[in-house]
Amino acid sequence: MKFLCVSCDEAMKLIEVKPPDRGSLSIMYRCPKCGNEFAMLTNPYETQVVGSLGVQVGPEEDGAAKCPFPGVMQEMGVSLDDSSAVFPWTAEASERLANIPEFARPMAKTGIEKFAKDRGLARVDAEVMEQARDFFGM
Amino acid sequence: MKSYHDIAGDGGSDILQQVAAQQASVTRSLSGVRNLLAVGSGKGGVGKSTLTMQLACALRAAGNAVSILDADLNGPSQARLGGLHDRMLIPGQSGAQVPMTPSGIGVVSMGSLVPEPRSVEFESVASGSSHTWRATKEFTFLRELLACMDWGKLDYLLVDLPPGAERIVQYAELLGPAALFVLVTVPSDLATGVVARSLDALEKTPNRILGYVQNMDGYYCSDCGQVKPLFPAQSQVKLDLPCLGCVPFDPELAALCDRGGSPCDEPTLVSWQPVQRIAEQICQRVAERASTPEEKT
Repeated sequence: MKFLCVSCDEAMKLIEVKPPDRGSLSIMYRCPKCGNEFAMLTNPYETQVVGSLGVQVGPEEDGAAKCPFPGVMQEMGVSLDDSSAVFPWTAEASERLANIPEFARPMAKTGIEKFAKDRGLARVDAEVMEQARDFFGM
Repeated sequence: MKSYHDIAGDGGSDILQQVAAQQASVTRSLSGVRNLLAVGSGKGGVGKSTLTMQLACALRAAGNAVSILDADLNGPSQARLGGLHDRMLIPGQSGAQVPMTPSGIGVVSMGSLVPEPRSVEFESVASGSSHTWRATKEFTFLRELLACMDWGKLDYLLVDLPPGAERIVQYAELLGPAALFVLVTVPSDLATGVVARSLDALEKTPNRILGYVQNMDGYYCSDCGQVKPLFPAQSQVKLDLPCLGCVPFDPELAALCDRGGSPCDEPTLVSWQPVQRIAEQICQRVAERASTPEEKT
């Protein structure tokens, strides 16, 4: 979708996407010529249809993993906390975790952390991940 | 006044570019896969999933490196068939490691990740309207699966497709023009009529259809050791496609699959030899394709 400032005949530039509010995105545009601004406010169906393409609307986010079916994961006892605050991960291990699909990250993270804790290890590093790989029979 | 096509880029998010990048990442991920072989039908309940696993076993037994992608997100069977129903995905070197069966067949299936009887529910901000976005979400999810797995070097990546005659074209587009197709039917006009629709739809794509398999072609009676008719009449609906082979229904195979046993471990099954012959046919046709790449069927 593109937007045109009719009076200037100039393409509007995206300047900000506000975080979703009850399924609605607020996307702000400005005309680079006259400075006129407007906001496109999506309804939840529009937000969902675009979101289903797996694309990012607006500037890149912080890259935090999002699980597309958190309800199922939580029922299975999988933590959706993506931070390393509870149990430390080295940068290399985190990078490898980021290689796997979003939906599988919470499950893999929980499983590997449990594997490390059960062995009295203080953090997850590349070596722990190799051990976990062998343990889980890959 | 400027039109859409007068303005470079899009509204600022480069949605088209992002989708193209997703597709490029699939191409990269599958760069070590020599043959992408989709097993579909259009009709449900004809034994696509079991046959896919059996074919994988036969191809593996013939010395090929084989993995399976279970594209049926909502009714996955391959995790159970491969004995991998509780296997989580673990990071590998460049993607997620593909879980392997004891017989060395890689299996990626939602059944490994979401245990029965839970259904797969995607998070949504538009609850109650999943009919408007769910198909898009599923294909995006499948594309992500294809892109993020460490498939490595494979002779065959089999894709077990869900039912849906019209959707088979959508899978063809997702997998790309090089993907090969095998269709599965049973000796019934009801089933073959639907498979004929799938064939009609697939023929409009650039993808090559290797042939069809007639599954449940009689059933094996262990009491008398004979294959008896399972369907009452000879099918009147014909598929204009080479028949790669016929496989009888074997109650022992059904019981084995329910137990999570692998057909690879049971070479005495009555269906094993027919499936091996079908695998040979597939390899032969793939080899022929290599020598005549411009010919579609």
